[in-house]
Amino acid sequence: MGAMESKYSTEDINKIMATWWKTIEKKTQKPTMTIPNMHFTVPTLWGRKKSDPPAPEWPTVFSTIWRSPYTPNSFVPHFNDCVGRAAARTQEYLQFVDPEDKFIPSPTSLNEIFLMTYISQSSRLQMTNSFNCTPMTSQQRILLGADWVWAVLDRPTKNPCIQIAVQILHLPERCGERASGVSPEVCTESMQMAKMESGNRNEAERMVDFCMSIGTDCYALFLLFGRKGDPGNIYGVLSNNFGAAVGKTKINRALIENFFRGSRYLHTPTGMLQAIITKRAGDPLTLLIKFT
Amino acid sequence: MQMAATQKESSDQNFDYMFKLLIIGNSSVGKTSFLFRYADDSFTSAFVSTVGIDFKVKTVYKNDKRIKLQIWDTAGQERYRTITTAYYRGAMGFILMYDITNEESFSCVQDWSTQIKTYSWDNAQVILAGNKCDMEEERVVSVDNGRMLAEQLGFDFFETSAKDNINVKQTFERLVDLICDKMSDSLETDPAVTTGTPNARLTDNPPPLQQPNCGC
Repeated sequence: MGAMESKYSTEDINKIMATWWKTIEKKTQKPTMTIPNMHFTVPTLWGRKKSDPPAPEWPTVFSTIWRSPYTPNSFVPHFNDCVGRAAARTQEYLQFVDPEDKFIPSPTSLNEIFLMTYISQSSRLQMTNSFNCTPMTSQQRILLGADWVWAVLDRPTKNPCIQIAVQILHLPERCGERASGVSPEVCTESMQMAKMESGNRNEAERMVDFCMSIGTDCYALFLLFGRKGDPGNIYGVLSNNFGAAVGKTKINRALIENFFRGSRYLHTPTGMLQAIITKRAGDPLTLLIKFT
Repeated sequence: MQMAATQKESSDQNFDYMFKLLIIGNSSVGKTSFLFRYADDSFTSAFVSTVGIDFKVKTVYKNDKRIKLQIWDTAGQERYRTITTAYYRGAMGFILMYDITNEESFSCVQDWSTQIKTYSWDNAQVILAGNKCDMEEERVVSVDNGRMLAEQLGFDFFETSAKDNINVKQTFERLVDLICDKMSDSLETDPAVTTGTPNARLTDNPPPLQQPNCGC
């Protein structure tokens, strides 16, 4: 067999190889992974391709292993993710200013934006088996005063062992109505009946009564969508001890705002949940929280 | 659709009587599903535990009279007992529910019956309902045992299925009949009642709402 001969001379081949090599070197390496300091060219178990739509952060296989829902209190960082995302999104709308000063998002819309964002994220993170969120029906919002109830679930029974009843408070200038969705045009007969059942107590008092009827493992959280002097941030006052004020003073927005006077320390949502979980049963607990 | 439903409900404010009914029983026996089947003719198998208390309104007709049923759905879990029992007062009828596939829920019927006696008034009418009768393969409480217990307690008895819509309407209709019968008895034994509002003797509550204004 004779040797194969190239139509190019050795010198030409060297030139061609050099040109080709330069072409390769000039090609930019496209990182397709989002893991810091690591670049892969194919989608892998560790995460999504960078070219994927950026919006939803789907849990990756390893993130769900690292944050296994079956370890105690593993929902705490998840809760922080969910509530942080919900607060940030709500804040965008809270800070919206119509240049013509005609359009103002309704309190009900803001409530729904917060809750929808929270629920979407919590179901993505698959945390609802250990920490769930139950939005109240329109009747329940009137009867119990809460907009929704968060609950830490007991593992085997899935019964709530700790609950946080949440009521959103809006700045008075933002709404004539309380944001429970009770505007005259949607006032149904059922809601009328619910109002009759709940007597003369205001909504804050109804929620405190509801929490007291359950016990010290049920907390009332008043979520302030804006405070006087700081309308664009979201704060909270959480307590299982509002009962101490019942009969002595009216529980209303003014009382809730008063908690912030002179207080320096504000908890994070994670800090709030950790304080609740690590607290000794029966002890009173009152916290101020900043959500944004 | 939502707006249409709301308007319909808002306009439905005329009635001759209003009966307050409660559905009670252990957690997860199907109280909320039972109410949704009756009031909305809907069913979902997803379990969402009721927080505290809730209610729905449904109007029925009997002898040319419009009867408004205010049906209270109570949470079965022990932690809500204080709030749920507060609503027993003034209730004219109870549906005491257990799950035929859950022995414990049946064992607790006696305790629930005691709760009714403790927190409600003597004339309240009660129906015992063994729910989830569509799940025959998982049955652990026999029909006979259910019926026997109902007889012992002096209650009427139905086996029901919110999922398959078995005996749901019948249970409510029977409860309304029992309340109406009791009302008639009361009127006969105490003619003075006839001068008052229709349900004055039965509820110990304010007279029924007539054309209430929306105060929301």
